[in-house]
Amino acid sequence: MARSDHSSSPDGSPASPREPVPDGSAAAGGRRPRPTGALVEWAIWLAVAFFFYAQTGRFDQEIATYRFGATGWPRTLAICVGLGATGQMLYRLFRDTTPSPVAEAIAEDVSAWTWAQRLGILSLPIVWLWTIPYVGFYVSTPFFVLALLLILEVRSLRALIGVTFVVYALVLLIFTRFFYVGLPTGQLDGFYEANNWIIATARWGG
Amino acid sequence: MENFLTGTATLFSDPHSIMIFAFGLIGGMLFGAIPGVNMLTLGAVLLPFTITMDPTDAVMLFSVIYCAGVFGGAITAILFNIPGAPENAPTCFDGYPMTVNGQAGKAIGAAVTCSAFGGVCSAILMMTATGIVASWAIRAFGPPEIFALIFFGLAVSASIGAASLWKGWLSVFTGLMIATIGTDPVGGIPRFNEGSVLGLSWDSYYLSAGIHFIPMILGFFAVSEVIAQAMSIAKGTRERPKASLEFPSAAEFWRVRWTMLRSVLIGFFSGVLPGIGATLAAFLSYSQAQRWSKNRRNFGKGELEGVVASETANNAATGAAMIPLLALGLPGGALTAMIMGIFQIHGMEPGPLIFINSGDLVWVTFAAMFWANLAIIFLGWLQTKTVVHILRVPFRWLAPGILLLATIGAYALRNLIVDVWVMFLAGIIGYFLRTTGYSAAGIVLGLILGEIGEAAFAKSMQLMDYSFLAFFQRPICAVLLILGMFAIVTSIIGEIRGTAPQKALMD
Repeated sequence: MARSDHSSSPDGSPASPREPVPDGSAAAGGRRPRPTGALVEWAIWLAVAFFFYAQTGRFDQEIATYRFGATGWPRTLAICVGLGATGQMLYRLFRDTTPSPVAEAIAEDVSAWTWAQRLGILSLPIVWLWTIPYVGFYVSTPFFVLALLLILEVRSLRALIGVTFVVYALVLLIFTRFFYVGLPTGQLDGFYEANNWIIATARWGG
Repeated sequence: MENFLTGTATLFSDPHSIMIFAFGLIGGMLFGAIPGVNMLTLGAVLLPFTITMDPTDAVMLFSVIYCAGVFGGAITAILFNIPGAPENAPTCFDGYPMTVNGQAGKAIGAAVTCSAFGGVCSAILMMTATGIVASWAIRAFGPPEIFALIFFGLAVSASIGAASLWKGWLSVFTGLMIATIGTDPVGGIPRFNEGSVLGLSWDSYYLSAGIHFIPMILGFFAVSEVIAQAMSIAKGTRERPKASLEFPSAAEFWRVRWTMLRSVLIGFFSGVLPGIGATLAAFLSYSQAQRWSKNRRNFGKGELEGVVASETANNAATGAAMIPLLALGLPGGALTAMIMGIFQIHGMEPGPLIFINSGDLVWVTFAAMFWANLAIIFLGWLQTKTVVHILRVPFRWLAPGILLLATIGAYALRNLIVDVWVMFLAGIIGYFLRTTGYSAAGIVLGLILGEIGEAAFAKSMQLMDYSFLAFFQRPICAVLLILGMFAIVTSIIGEIRGTAPQKALMD
């Protein structure tokens, strides 16, 4: 499955050593996999169902025209999730011989760099989103695009600048100039003005 | 026939109407095909401009956008595993694996042809049977039947896209649980808008309005797909899909002729029912195609029949969705609600009298939908030859654009940054669910049908004095519930015996 042209990627990504992909061979030959994954999944689902059920107590009010009230349907669903998760866990413990993806993920052996890269992929959008109300969409977006490209192993300077410019320009052209979509302009002094300047520039002459 | 020809002549004799027709067609296809925005975005942008338009042109424009937009969503579903709309979600199951296998052209070609076929058949049925179908659907389908249909739909579609039956059902239940956030459908009591856990408490007006399915879809499909691809880049296991321009052969279409016909019927009759429409039609059609196919084991791995089933059914639902709108004044979805808005803006009232009072408008709309569906073949063929080249652009370069489009799409919905948070959280959760074998499509199906299902159940209980047995005293309802229960029981038995869930459903 691994890409064969590591050294000559057209998008400027560098050659890098790759980790072996877990092949799930634990189950080969019908050997039953360890139950850790099944139990972890079961515990997570039960926690979700319990949390959901517990929160229904906040709106446990009678409705004069409906016997089951506001909680009947959500509580039934929470019970169904609990039952479904238990059924899945029992099935996995006693009948299933395929390895659990959760257990595989736990047991996966990857380098510190790959972990950092994965963490970056998951956390970058969150960080960007957190900054938007303060610094505005228009100011923060080029940095987000640039950071994402770097996380995705784009190293060519031309690709970094070119893709950032094209993506940002297209967004401004389509959504700001043509469709007048109002996006957050930030609250902090300076950034608010900068965002509005970018909007005005994008709509210049329009 | 005479009315149809008159409608066609009216449509194509006025250059202004032709321009609007072409704009709707191209705009619908483009907006449907861009991840993060869809035909509703275009509809919302254009709605204010319809005030100054001729009502016939305005209704025709939105009808054409509807037909073209439903097809357009298939493109991103096939190329990037990101459905443009919920009704394109089942297209991902086989469309994207076909792209990975180097058959993107074939998958898009099938989507083009089948969308056009489904849409044209639906338009013909709509023109010939609007009055009859509308009165039958409204008389025969009360809340108990709607609930039974949703139950049946979930029962046969639950395990689609999941690694096992259990995971499929847990995905659907997750969607159903998310759908309960907001207000309860009977008493209007806010649910889950406030709460606390481990000392952390929240009280949100946003949650009182419920979680909108658009950010969830964008999160579960667009964001989680970008994360999944990014993770595979990090792992070094990502394979770039091969761009191919091969169109399906006539023999391949002949092989799936029964699937196409079945999907038209499923799409049409699901589309007639307000609120259910194209999404359930596409899922039902896909599951039935899998049930009857000789190549059932290939489903989910790149089977052309899967794309055919989903795309025929969702476009067949477009014509059907116009029936309750025009004949009874009941919009079945967001875009038909916008068309209803156009009627109201121009002081018109859809309903049985519209055929008498505004016959011209109705027949121009019918003709436009018919020709729009036919035009999809030509434009879609061009698109097949051009849009597939996007696959030549490295995914690393496309990823920021997809995320930005999704962000703008989620934010522009209600101008709320919270919607974007919901989208990204759904994306991260969706990524973990996908990697552990759960189905994003199942969650979305549960989310969309959950609210309608609960409302239908509550009304049914009130109507039937809380007697569950009364469900079985209504023929349509009883058949749907029994079939649904049969599907569940056989699939559980199949799972316990160790057979694959899909096979168990078929057996």
